[in-house]
Amino acid sequence: MSAHAGTIDHHHDHTTTTGIPNKKLFMWAFLASDCMFFGALISTHVIYRLHPTPEGADPTKLFSIELTSFSTFILLMSSLLMALAVGASQKGKVEATRKMLLGTIFFGLIFLGCQVYEFTHFVHKGLTLKSDMFGSTFYTLTGTHGVHVAIGVLWLVLMYIRTFKPTDAGKAWVTRAVVQFMAFAVAVVSIMFVMLAVTHAGAEHGYTLSSVVHALQHDAITSGAALAFAVSTVLLFTLGRSTWAVDFGEANAIDVEGMGLYWHFVDIVWIVIFTVVYLLEYL
Amino acid sequence: MATATLKSANYTAPHATKPASRPWFFTRPAAKTGLVSWLTTVDHKKIGLLYGVTALFFFLVGGVEALMIRVQLAVPNNTFISHQVYNELFTMHATTMIFLAVMPLSAAFFNYMMPLQIGARDVAFPRLNGFAFWVFLVGAIVLNVGWFTRAGAPDVGWFGYAPLTSVAYSSQFAGDSSTDLWVMGLQILGVSSVIGSLNFIVTIINMRAPGLTMMRLPVFTWMTLFTAFLIILSFPAITIALVELMMDRSFGTSFFEVARGGMPILWQHLFWIFGHPEVYILILPAMGIISEILPTFSRKPLFGYPIVVFSGAVIGFLGFGVWSHHMFTTGLGTMATAAFSLATMAIAVPTGVKIFNWVGTLWGGQISTRTPMMFALGFIWMFMMGGFSGVMHSAAPADAQQQDSYFVVAHFHYVLIGGSIFALLGGIHFWFPLVFGRIVSEFWGKLSFWIIFVGFNVTFFPMHFLGLNGMPRRTAVYDGNMGWNSGNLTATIGAFILAIGIGTYFTVIVYTYLKGKKATGDIWDARTLEWSVPTTPPPEHNFHITPTVHARDAYWYEKTHAKEIAAEKAKHAQDEESHGGIHMPSQSWFPILTATGLLIGGLFFTHHHFLGAIAGGCAMLLGIIGWAFEGPGGYHLHIAKDGTVTGGEGQDEAHH
Amino acid sequence: MSSTVSETTQEHAHADDGKFHLFVQIAMILAVITGVEIVLIYLPIVKWLVVSMLVLLSLVKFLLVIFWFMHLKFDKLFCTILFFIGLVLAGGTVAALLAIFSPHDSVPLSAQAIYAERAAAAK
Repeated sequence: MSAHAGTIDHHHDHTTTTGIPNKKLFMWAFLASDCMFFGALISTHVIYRLHPTPEGADPTKLFSIELTSFSTFILLMSSLLMALAVGASQKGKVEATRKMLLGTIFFGLIFLGCQVYEFTHFVHKGLTLKSDMFGSTFYTLTGTHGVHVAIGVLWLVLMYIRTFKPTDAGKAWVTRAVVQFMAFAVAVVSIMFVMLAVTHAGAEHGYTLSSVVHALQHDAITSGAALAFAVSTVLLFTLGRSTWAVDFGEANAIDVEGMGLYWHFVDIVWIVIFTVVYLLEYL
Repeated sequence: MATATLKSANYTAPHATKPASRPWFFTRPAAKTGLVSWLTTVDHKKIGLLYGVTALFFFLVGGVEALMIRVQLAVPNNTFISHQVYNELFTMHATTMIFLAVMPLSAAFFNYMMPLQIGARDVAFPRLNGFAFWVFLVGAIVLNVGWFTRAGAPDVGWFGYAPLTSVAYSSQFAGDSSTDLWVMGLQILGVSSVIGSLNFIVTIINMRAPGLTMMRLPVFTWMTLFTAFLIILSFPAITIALVELMMDRSFGTSFFEVARGGMPILWQHLFWIFGHPEVYILILPAMGIISEILPTFSRKPLFGYPIVVFSGAVIGFLGFGVWSHHMFTTGLGTMATAAFSLATMAIAVPTGVKIFNWVGTLWGGQISTRTPMMFALGFIWMFMMGGFSGVMHSAAPADAQQQDSYFVVAHFHYVLIGGSIFALLGGIHFWFPLVFGRIVSEFWGKLSFWIIFVGFNVTFFPMHFLGLNGMPRRTAVYDGNMGWNSGNLTATIGAFILAIGIGTYFTVIVYTYLKGKKATGDIWDARTLEWSVPTTPPPEHNFHITPTVHARDAYWYEKTHAKEIAAEKAKHAQDEESHGGIHMPSQSWFPILTATGLLIGGLFFTHHHFLGAIAGGCAMLLGIIGWAFEGPGGYHLHIAKDGTVTGGEGQDEAHH
Repeated sequence: MSSTVSETTQEHAHADDGKFHLFVQIAMILAVITGVEIVLIYLPIVKWLVVSMLVLLSLVKFLLVIFWFMHLKFDKLFCTILFFIGLVLAGGTVAALLAIFSPHDSVPLSAQAIYAERAAAAK
């Protein structure tokens, strides 16, 4: 059955009894299960906030509502880009799909970066997993959500790489895919090191161009990370340009849609967490 | 080795394109016999057999654990085993029986029978199905590894109440990882169960044969669906409880540490939010099996089919609202106690409805007391008795006396052995001719039933009285002046009778498998589609022609409307051939490889070697990536008019 | 909620470009609602009102994402049923747990008498 034989109806799969594609049904059932998962975790957090220990931390003194609002906004925007990626894949537009996937990855990474920054900041202030009850529940709940985001980003990266599969794929494609993946991995890890050094320098000496440059030259690890970041980004950019025919089109839209469902779900869980964990503390 | 000749591939079909230079690790295995065929299988029938054999092995393991418990309790102040070993035994007996015996035995039937009952050729995601089994095996290994280590097996009870499970109580010596193994083992088993259940839900909803509306589904398939929903909705609660416990033990959090603000009662709540639906997970499949056996051996359709189905749904749903009846003595408060007590009583109603409908099925039927029917009749009676003691528990004031006593032990063994096990053992006899093409001798089958029946009752009936006379659970010794001596001795004797019964059952089954009387085809004059396969054992592709369903008890309709069905089949005979043949899923190495990564990661994690855990995680990730990139694959079979099958893995033409 | 998403926009929701604009509009609505939530917590109004409004606004965001971004509105009804089974069960379980663990439960009975005395004395 060739894709040339008519466009695919993305709303009806005639090979299944209900017309719902199997992968879509699977994902919705999984998300129903994940509701119970996060429900139990959020319950634990709220229960322990209703029974605070006398010497426990005061979250409002730790929270930076500006940062969290920013990261919430970022995640919402990433949801938009994901929806657009699904739309693009359903129209068989590979280039647009790639751009939107890349955008979603980028925003997802920014969200994760904000979380890492927030966690580091809290740890500096003395809130750890062990320090008190709030630490235990807060880090476990938001950390689990963060792991879900990270898994989503990993999935998105793999899907992005998948869009480059040539129609006559062979060993060369596998090598290229591995290189592309490693480039992503190196880029993510190196930017983390760079951001950490930059934010530390900024916190101490203020955020100016000279202090940033100074931070990057400060030690071998940071300089190396900056270099690695530059190299891997250039590599990704080069590998991201392709003009050959690819084995990716409307038929693969169901996979992008499934991934989209997961990503949106992670977003709506964050909507709940933002309200329950952050906003409600201010009351 | 697959050698596809590929013409130019300019199309982007969902099937895997196979260029001449496809890497070796994406070549699909093609062996249909031998070890490789089992390790790489995606065939629901083979996977069902894997689950069944593993489950029966662990059933024996759990049985030996039980016998040792009974020997220790045969006489007062016994010194057969140490108290530490006793704790490990009752923990592992329960964990093994629940997670490694009853659940996978049910899964064996879900896997083998359900796709056949809905007229499908396999489940929605065949590789994922194989993966679910290998992950189950990994979980079973992780749980039992402790027996071979110095730390010993888990000893915290199958329900692992905090704070007994905290680090404080498991640091008699450095390296005591028994509780960590329990936590990791259960998490892994949870992954297996949820993945398998998601697969079954999609299969039942989306892969039914033409004409098979939901209200024409066999009751066993309905119960499969409900059990799958229960699993995906209840396992997250125990997953979170275990995650929190693991965080406490490995990373120093204080979820259940009282001194730092934790509340151990939260563990109980989260555990039983899972734990109660879990017992319905254990009984619903059994009820489904009984609902197939009774009509067949009464030669009557199931009485009140819609209400039996609806009751199953209601039991499943209400089962989420009764969890604290396991906690009546924890000081919940009046409101909560009353609410949970009421809800628990309510659940007895749909259960009772089912029993009445089963009796209604028997009433006026042409009863044939073959071995499967004996187990089914035994089920009705024994499960009822277990239900009565359950209703007695539902009254919170009465439960205040019964909680943590042998009365509870009696209750749940009546519903689990008298209920689940009887149905599963009966199901094995019922479907044996279909799966193996042989039939168990009536005499030996019935003999094993009666010995089991007698042994079971002699063991557990006295426990009602032991419990009401105050004997507590989970104690390794009891004093001789409590008035419990004769009850315990009787129970131990009964346990050995039960063991002889089980031993007889197993011997008979194995003998029949090897040398039993051949029995092909529809040996019981059955009612549902799994019996309509062309050969017994069924061919890999299940049906030559996908059936069209016209009514409930689809196969019975086929047999009573033979001419109409023959004409219909002739019309549909070329349907699939015109689409290129019968589409079969390809085998794959990636499910077992990915599961191995999980085993490595899991074992390293429990011993707090986080680098090794990450390595195992990477192995898993590589497995998943390979799985995704190898693609769905698939090949086609062609059935000739005389039934000969041609085609196979790697033998397809390049395109359709 | 649907004031900005007019009837015609919904009808065109499946026209190629209509979908793009629709998604961007929804994203803007989500961002605005988030902004409103943040402002809300600093407003000097009664706590229970703030909480109710936060819950309501989160619910709106939640529904927008699942019905439009996740496409539930345009898919077969069974997907919605399936997800809502999990959602409703989770919600019910959370509500039950919070009711069981309500804050005044952690005050021991013996202490309640003392607090009552203090409250009476403080008047």
